[in-house]
Amino acid sequence: MSRKYKGFYGVFIIVSLFLFVPACSNSEETSTNNNDGDNETSNDEMSDSEIEFSVFAADDNPSWNGMDSPVGQEILNATGVSLDADFALGDPAERISLFAASGDYPDFILPKGDGGLMVDAGAMVDLRPLIEEHGPNIKEVYGDYLDRMTWSEDDDAIYFLGTNGVDQEYWSPGNGFWLQHAVVEELGYPEINTLEDFENAIAEYYEMYPEIDGQPTIPLSLLADDWRMLISVTNPAFFATGGSDDGEWFIDHETQEAILHYRRPEEREYFRWLNHMNNEGLLDPETFVQQEDQYISKISSGRVLGMIDAEWSIADAQTALREDGKQERMHGIYPVTLDDTFKQANFQDAGYLAEWGIGITVDNPDPVRAIKFLDWMASEEAQILNNWGIEGEHYQYDDEGNRHLTEEQREERLSDSKFNERTGINVFTAYGPNYGDGVLDSEGQPFTINTPETVVEDYTDKEKEVLAAYDAEIWADLFPSSDEFPVKPWGAGWEINWSSDSPIAVPFQRAEDTMMTRIPEAILADEDEFDEVYDRFMEELEGHGVEEMEQEFTKLIQKRIELWDEE
Amino acid sequence: MEIGKKKAQPNLWVPDNKKNFWKTMKNQKILYLMSIPFVVWIFVFNYLPVWGWTMAFQDFRPGRSITEQEWVGFKHFITLFQDPHFYLVLRNTLVMSLMLLIVGFTIPIIFAVSLNELKDSLFKRSVQTISYLPHFVSWVVVAGIVTKMLSTDGGIINDLLVSLNIIESPIQFMAQGHWFWVILTGADIWKEMGWNSIIFLAAMAGVDPQLYEAARVDGANRWRRIWHITLPGIRPTIMVILILSIGNMISIGFERQLLLGNSLVREYSEVLELYALNYGIGMGNYSYGTALGIFNSMVSIILLLLANGFFKRMSNTSVM
Repeated sequence: MSRKYKGFYGVFIIVSLFLFVPACSNSEETSTNNNDGDNETSNDEMSDSEIEFSVFAADDNPSWNGMDSPVGQEILNATGVSLDADFALGDPAERISLFAASGDYPDFILPKGDGGLMVDAGAMVDLRPLIEEHGPNIKEVYGDYLDRMTWSEDDDAIYFLGTNGVDQEYWSPGNGFWLQHAVVEELGYPEINTLEDFENAIAEYYEMYPEIDGQPTIPLSLLADDWRMLISVTNPAFFATGGSDDGEWFIDHETQEAILHYRRPEEREYFRWLNHMNNEGLLDPETFVQQEDQYISKISSGRVLGMIDAEWSIADAQTALREDGKQERMHGIYPVTLDDTFKQANFQDAGYLAEWGIGITVDNPDPVRAIKFLDWMASEEAQILNNWGIEGEHYQYDDEGNRHLTEEQREERLSDSKFNERTGINVFTAYGPNYGDGVLDSEGQPFTINTPETVVEDYTDKEKEVLAAYDAEIWADLFPSSDEFPVKPWGAGWEINWSSDSPIAVPFQRAEDTMMTRIPEAILADEDEFDEVYDRFMEELEGHGVEEMEQEFTKLIQKRIELWDEE
Repeated sequence: MEIGKKKAQPNLWVPDNKKNFWKTMKNQKILYLMSIPFVVWIFVFNYLPVWGWTMAFQDFRPGRSITEQEWVGFKHFITLFQDPHFYLVLRNTLVMSLMLLIVGFTIPIIFAVSLNELKDSLFKRSVQTISYLPHFVSWVVVAGIVTKMLSTDGGIINDLLVSLNIIESPIQFMAQGHWFWVILTGADIWKEMGWNSIIFLAAMAGVDPQLYEAARVDGANRWRRIWHITLPGIRPTIMVILILSIGNMISIGFERQLLLGNSLVREYSEVLELYALNYGIGMGNYSYGTALGIFNSMVSIILLLLANGFFKRMSNTSVM
């Protein structure tokens, strides 16, 4: 028998070794491809020929349909560049880490928050000299913001060009507390400013209508599926207590000191309120169990009275309700805070967020061609194409020479979920510099199709009715405007990254892991046990060394403020 | 050892002195040549990558050559063994793989035995096909189905239990930490039972029908025939698969746990590979991930050798 099994030993050892194949890094060719465009002639010849660039984007683009769409074809004709895009599934950091470890990069990359991994690996081309030579449109679009893209105080290079809309004006609140129109209507449009108002509205309506369309009413539902918990459970804690979005941090305006936002005593009160909601039976018992599709289908059924979430997170459900003609079951957004002393800071200005963007890697066969492509994307022609589509087909000029959409064209954009995929409109915008809503072109017309008027046009009749009852035209009117807050000199906290060997990295991950377990536990605890659970949570955080970590992060913020001040 | 000799195949004959070895090699040079590509393949893909283990002893930074890396000795292993979280995920991994091993072994065998006893081959074949189809359903879908079935908001299991008056109000199955292991095992059985039974069915097909006839003549009933003929007939198969599974106990994958888990059961659902992903690759800390990988490999090899030694002894006694 022993001989028979001897063979197995060998096989098994090999199999077990094979199971753990650590990726070997080997990127010797990192610096060889970096020609800074000193051979102009060859490039001009090349611009006639077609070239394909691979793109990796950390954000999924569900409308991506290659270059086949009409807009894609236009781009191909104008530049000769076709993009072969690849998107992250799940956590983009995993893919980007693999790129960095393997030394095998896509031609363009949009790593979102994980650009540091690529830069550390020497994977990125410095765009500054390329822009100087080939990027007039890029300079035009960004203006002074270009300096915000400087990598660090030790490294003067620009590796990524921001792909957020430049000078974007915001007319729709992205974060807040959502209430069904039917609820406020039934209750005679009460003021909805504090958690108490919000709770009372929900509770009263729930008592009146324990069932909607024959199914049990759900008073308040949240989504805690993986990282979505940050959006729907923990971020609202700082929004309700006067903070604006700095990711997991709360940064003091005067001292510029950062702490993990859930360590603030104010936010403990917010979570106490959620705990109270749960003990009152007003919080959906499936909150921490449900997956995103369950959550969306519940809201779409019209029996969820209130949500606390970001606009993009529930947009699909609102569209579904609209398509079903259940206008009164759609939701309005209200600036709810813990009490009257706080102002909802959804519209607080962080300045232009330049850090998340597109960069060219050293594997790109022709960086000059690549920057020329980005420069073309920044041109007026390209931006109008990306936002409006093709003249005569997707928009036309009216008698005064203004671009406009007919009723049908507008409706098509709103209701056809395949519109972008079919036409290519707004599909390529994310892969180049672009202006935001409200910016005017050289003829004084907006680059994007959105204006405050179009925002109102998109509202349902019911929505207009509700807004009229609150003396408002758009939802943003209910919220404190951006002039009421100072501009954040550090940009946005969630944009500030740290390297993998930074003393922030491990404690941060541990704190997040702890938070993901303890906050649900605290919310679901009995009312008199809440403090006990939360105190233990705070102690655990201190055990992970979060205080030193916060000091380190404060240093990063101060460095960044200094870097930007030098401009 | 008697058995071993009987079963030894001529090609595996090992020469007992050097002279003979070279002679044999010369005689069989075509065979040796034919095996070279496979030896090279194994070397390149299974042995060369082990070089990457050096990463565990460095503070590895991508994009630098080996001379530029900073060597830190056992730092990452020390961090690993000092992390209480590591022991939590290790516990979860071992408990879940043990449950999966026990249930995932007995049920397919019972299922295969029952199928084997069926006379009607059309029925038998259709049941077999239907039962292994779930294997091809991805875990994303399975997790969705399980979550919906166990939901308190119109989930079929809760509705059934309530309508049968077994429970008064719906139970939050997915919110109970200690139930997570059970739910995971159940879902895994549903998905893999049919698939895992295929190999046992194949092994049963190889059992000599004459044995059954002889047993019937001797008056053995159906249970006796299963116990004395079918099960001993597939014992070698069972043992090979069992040894393989034990070797893989520590690397049970993480999709199932990730997809079925939620924030309320994290302390029960997080497994070693997810931990490696979050704290290794996820944070760009390749060295730490590699250290964990080495730990995994070592435990796998040890488990494998133990299991093999144990079964060798077991089967020897049973043979004698």
